[in-house]
Amino acid sequence: MSQMFDLAEGFRQYQEKILARWVDYTLSTYESSDFFKKEKDQFANPIGGNVRVALGELLPLLIKGAGRSEYEPAIERIVSIRAVQQFTPAQAVSPLNAVKHITREIFGADSERKHLNGELYDFDFAVDIALLAAFDIYMQFRERVYSVRINEIKSGSIVLTDSMCPSKLLKPEGEIPMAQTGR
Amino acid sequence: MSLPKLEELSQSVWQGPSLSTGAIPTKEWMDTPVTFKPGGYAYPAKKEKLEYLNAQPGLSFPFARVWSPEEDDWLLPDNWKDIILKGIAERLDKFRSLKIFMDCCVRCGACADKCHFFLGTGDPRNMPVMRAELLRSVYRGEFTLAGKILGRLAGGRKMTVGVLKEWFMYAYQCTECRRCSIFCPYGIDTAEITIILRELLYSVGLGINWVIEPVSNSTRTGNHMGLQPLPFRDNVEFLAEDVESLTGIKQNVTFNRKGAEILFVTPSADVFAEPGIYTCMGYLLLFNALGLDYTWSTYASEGGNFGLFTNNEAMKALNGKMYAEAERLGVKYILGGECGHMWRVVHQYMDTMNGKTPANMEVPVSPITGTVFNNAASTKVVHITEFTADLIKHNKLKFDTSRNSHVRATWHDSCNPARAMGIIEEPRYVLDHVVDKWWEMPENTIREQTFCCGSGTGLNTDEIMELRMRSGLPRANAVKHVVEKHDVNTLACICAIDRATLTSLMNYWNPGVTVCGLTELVANALVQKGENRADMPEGLRTML
Repeated sequence: MSQMFDLAEGFRQYQEKILARWVDYTLSTYESSDFFKKEKDQFANPIGGNVRVALGELLPLLIKGAGRSEYEPAIERIVSIRAVQQFTPAQAVSPLNAVKHITREIFGADSERKHLNGELYDFDFAVDIALLAAFDIYMQFRERVYSVRINEIKSGSIVLTDSMCPSKLLKPEGEIPMAQTGR
Repeated sequence: MSLPKLEELSQSVWQGPSLSTGAIPTKEWMDTPVTFKPGGYAYPAKKEKLEYLNAQPGLSFPFARVWSPEEDDWLLPDNWKDIILKGIAERLDKFRSLKIFMDCCVRCGACADKCHFFLGTGDPRNMPVMRAELLRSVYRGEFTLAGKILGRLAGGRKMTVGVLKEWFMYAYQCTECRRCSIFCPYGIDTAEITIILRELLYSVGLGINWVIEPVSNSTRTGNHMGLQPLPFRDNVEFLAEDVESLTGIKQNVTFNRKGAEILFVTPSADVFAEPGIYTCMGYLLLFNALGLDYTWSTYASEGGNFGLFTNNEAMKALNGKMYAEAERLGVKYILGGECGHMWRVVHQYMDTMNGKTPANMEVPVSPITGTVFNNAASTKVVHITEFTADLIKHNKLKFDTSRNSHVRATWHDSCNPARAMGIIEEPRYVLDHVVDKWWEMPENTIREQTFCCGSGTGLNTDEIMELRMRSGLPRANAVKHVVEKHDVNTLACICAIDRATLTSLMNYWNPGVTVCGLTELVANALVQKGENRADMPEGLRTML
């Protein structure tokens, strides 16, 4: 008769493996992801580095059922990046949800711990709440992009393309001399 | 209860392959067409701007039209393919470097992960080797025997409308920053391949407005903003009045003054837009404190040269006005302000484009220290940072660093001055003297390996803000590190485009970080005789 392991032990045993597969899954959402998975220097590889750091912070917090304020910075780290990449909103946040399935697959493959899959209600709940937080955070960063764009327009640099020079404003449309160079 | 499996989750979220969407690719890159969506491309060049430029002597911007990248039909001229192939042939013959770049790449991959566009998107066509391959594959397929016979087996393909669209997308997802080139064992300069791609695109009337309108404005009035002489003068004088009210010292500023020793040329953004105007106030204050015999030109009123982002002829014409004005005013040399690509043009192309300098120009000598700038012997253009560093080296400036106590700075090496012309130590030397302490970003993100702001080469337009935010991620990520570790609040640099675009980049990634020019920090800390300074807790940015 095999020993019955409890959930805390199961997570202790497999946390690293869950994290590695979670990071791998998240980085697989990029079209050319080999480098993102391989390079460990976070400055040479900002996407890979930030995903690794953020999920590494997030996983133990989800396991212990931490509150939103504790894990928001980790979600911001990932979602701020995915909010400006060409993902749909669902694509941007969905890798967070994957940890539920990864955990089940890993526990399920271990005959001594597959019974733990029946005890994951609290963990699932924590992930669901984190996913909802991720939608809020996604929207915060989308709104931030728009405000950055508006600020740039208001700062005056838009004049570079969308304004007329004062002399043109004095002339009726269609009377701009085309060959006048001012030389 | 059945639980969805991981694969099902993936299928439910990833809805088929599409380029740059992060979807898992199922086809070879040559078989994956590009798609243009709002936010993913810069607006096309306005028809009237191209027509205006095409009417100028020596310039060619043909096939001006109204078109949209989102439409299937780009309204290309009937003979577009002949024009492109002839254009490639001409350039292979004219530029030996291009011929070598086309032939010598061994696809070692050293460049692949060095591009900020690749690092921010994960899009394989943003690997520099792949971006070059967009042209190289056509070169093989249309110009080499192996490619003509074996086609794709030899990595070749024919020139098609799809290829042209691919060029338009990826020639404008490269800022010609040249970071990849320093890692290439063969020295392939992918920036020059982008330059050629953009030239070829312009030959069939395909360009972007954020580039072409500044080129048009510079041709017409001398600067990107299209400011005519009087508003240009008024803006500078307005800034001089601000300096006077802050320091109590009247600023002596002249325009188009014949017989001045030095002509000062800087990006017009310094004269017009925040935060460049504070750098401009810094120039005025510094030159006035030195009693420099210098003048502004209201014609060579732009350091920037967006011609570099169109074709050789436009770049040459815009650059030529600096010499023309230096000759008209009879100055000995030109002092250049904090600009990026202006220096790329001056340092790498000006000599061969515009040849011998006017007879009145001399090898630059600092009138304050007597230092001879032999490094500028051929172009006769001195960078303000080397000029200032020389002044400090000779103890000609007195600083009170406490006047910059509001600044906790890090240094961004702007691609063009740093990588293209080697201005790396000078700004650090200056910074050491004008602030108490400053902090470097991680070493693989600075100096020659500096990361681009992500918005250079005319990509600093708001309609592609998301693209700019992801291409700027590697830079912002390094800034974030020093913000978290050292509480840095200021990103200093010597490039006008940086000052504008890094401001937006920081507002997204690192809110609270201010962007400034180096001369702004110099002027903040400069102690002058006879000054009657107001309380300036924010230096030159203090509102009285």
